[in-house]
Amino acid sequence: MTQPPIVEARHVSRVFPMAAAPVTALSDVSIRIEAGEYVAVVGPSGCGKSTLLHILGCVDVPTSGDVLVQDRNVGSLSDAERSRLRLREIGFVFQRFFLLPMLTAWENVELPQAEAGVARLDRRRRTAELLEYVGLASRAAHRPSELSGGEMQRVAIARALANRPRLLLADEPTGELDQRTGGHIITLLDRLHEDGTAVVVVTHDVAVAACAHRLLTMRDGQIVEGSS
Amino acid sequence: MLRVLRLAWLTSVRQPGRTSIGVLGVVAVGALLFDMLLLSRGLVLSFRDLLDRAGFDVRVLATDAAPFTGPRIVEADAVAAAIAALPQVEAVVPVSIREADIVSETAASQPPGRVQFIAADPQARPMWTLVDGRDLSAGAGANPPLVVNRTVADRLSLSPGSTLTLRGACGPDGSVLPPVAFAIVGVAGFPFDDAAAQTVAGRLSDIGRLCEGGMELGVDMLLVRSNQREGAGRAAAAIQALLPPLHVVTNEELVERFSRVQFSYFRQISFVLATVTLFFGFLLITVLLTASVNQRLGEIAALRAVGLSRTRVVAGVLCESVMMVGAGAILAVPVGLVLSVWLDDILRALPGIPSDVHFFVFEGRTLVAYTWLLGAASVGAALYPMRIVATLPIAATLRREVVG
Repeated sequence: MTQPPIVEARHVSRVFPMAAAPVTALSDVSIRIEAGEYVAVVGPSGCGKSTLLHILGCVDVPTSGDVLVQDRNVGSLSDAERSRLRLREIGFVFQRFFLLPMLTAWENVELPQAEAGVARLDRRRRTAELLEYVGLASRAAHRPSELSGGEMQRVAIARALANRPRLLLADEPTGELDQRTGGHIITLLDRLHEDGTAVVVVTHDVAVAACAHRLLTMRDGQIVEGSS
Repeated sequence: MLRVLRLAWLTSVRQPGRTSIGVLGVVAVGALLFDMLLLSRGLVLSFRDLLDRAGFDVRVLATDAAPFTGPRIVEADAVAAAIAALPQVEAVVPVSIREADIVSETAASQPPGRVQFIAADPQARPMWTLVDGRDLSAGAGANPPLVVNRTVADRLSLSPGSTLTLRGACGPDGSVLPPVAFAIVGVAGFPFDDAAAQTVAGRLSDIGRLCEGGMELGVDMLLVRSNQREGAGRAAAAIQALLPPLHVVTNEELVERFSRVQFSYFRQISFVLATVTLFFGFLLITVLLTASVNQRLGEIAALRAVGLSRTRVVAGVLCESVMMVGAGAILAVPVGLVLSVWLDDILRALPGIPSDVHFFVFEGRTLVAYTWLLGAASVGAALYPMRIVATLPIAATLRREVVG
């Protein structure tokens, strides 16, 4: 018996109503992300990459079409259920990190676990393990303002992995970093994939895209190259 | 819940300037609100306290006119005896008030003044507080005894053992009799005196020495102390049934009447000022919280994307509001108390206000009302920023933050 895909989009369209005229960000896109896959989505600015990522990550809903996360139709879920799904099954990494500035690196990583109701002892163990994993064990007590851009992104990755998600979505994870620091993040994403997490990364960075096992090219809201 | 509170706390202290302005604003608003609440019932409470302090809980008057302004009760001895015989009544004291002019030689260098002469049974529990000397019941030898208030004592340099000569100012009620020399036996504080009041107290029978007719003209009021087991209400009902033409009023009813008529201005003023104050505080917190939330939209959208529920982020905003208002509200209480003492002194200096009356009186329910009102304001003030957070489109906000 075959395993269901981690996430699947079926004939998804997303239209943004605008004052001048509606803008179609996604047009009839279908895509399956299987467990352990490493997918890169590339394309020019405004082609719908981030919108696709947001829809796959259940932070946006399609205007038409269906999104299934482990065979559950996201459209039928309440906002609270979608939040729980994101908390436990999906990890998000943003271009601008979005760490909570008043929390330390440790606390930022611990936050989603606490939210998911993980016991304190398990949280401590997991947080220590994750900070070690991203190479920031020694910076655990530092606040984001005391970290470099690359370090902040590594903390953001650790936070995204906190509840052992099966899918990690990264939106331009190296967009705010220099080439060398971006290289560290690429290595980290590669390692994550090797450890079994499915990774979907939206990027303009050729180096990031080169590491992916599947490359999807988008244009005008559609996947124009690469198998969906 | 602790996590929500901690995050709200950390968010608040992260912007110390904004939070300090908010807390200081709530301190100012809270202190004014607290004072307005004290003022709304202060006079009523203080007036009730004055009435209760005299030790009588029912008053019998000839008509429903305010005490000492209407007709008198005639044949007071017989009426008092009939009331005293009721099982619901413990004691009855006839009281009359007249005016008298000072003619004492002691005051030769002073311009003549007028005093209010309170006449009461010397055996009865006094309606004044003795601060020097003895009371009327002790007697004074040849001259009738007199207790004077501090203003009279200071102005005329009187002390126990001095003599004060008075001539009745009887008005149309009776002819003036020759001046009477009274022996000062004590100095007392009278609860209804204002700062300039000149009040003296003598025996009920001495009214006849000041004005012709004396007791035959009747007494102004009968003070009644009800039997504790029966209570003021039953005593008043029994007196009313016994003597239907008289007007019988309990302290509670008197307070209620004053509260409804004479004191209602203060209640209305305090209501209007409290409402304006509260609205100002509400706006201040709404503006500060909205600004704070708008600054953190990207961060909030990211937290939602990471999996924090809508309820969770909304609760965070509410906690921030409650914390800001709570901190300000706690600090506002001592500020409000100090302010109320100052304002009370100003208002009590108004002419005609009894010295023992207070406009700002603390009671437990004021604190409860204050807590409820500010609690409601903190929730109300958080509604708009909570709505912003609750309806925040996660994807659009993240996109905007990146583009911005």
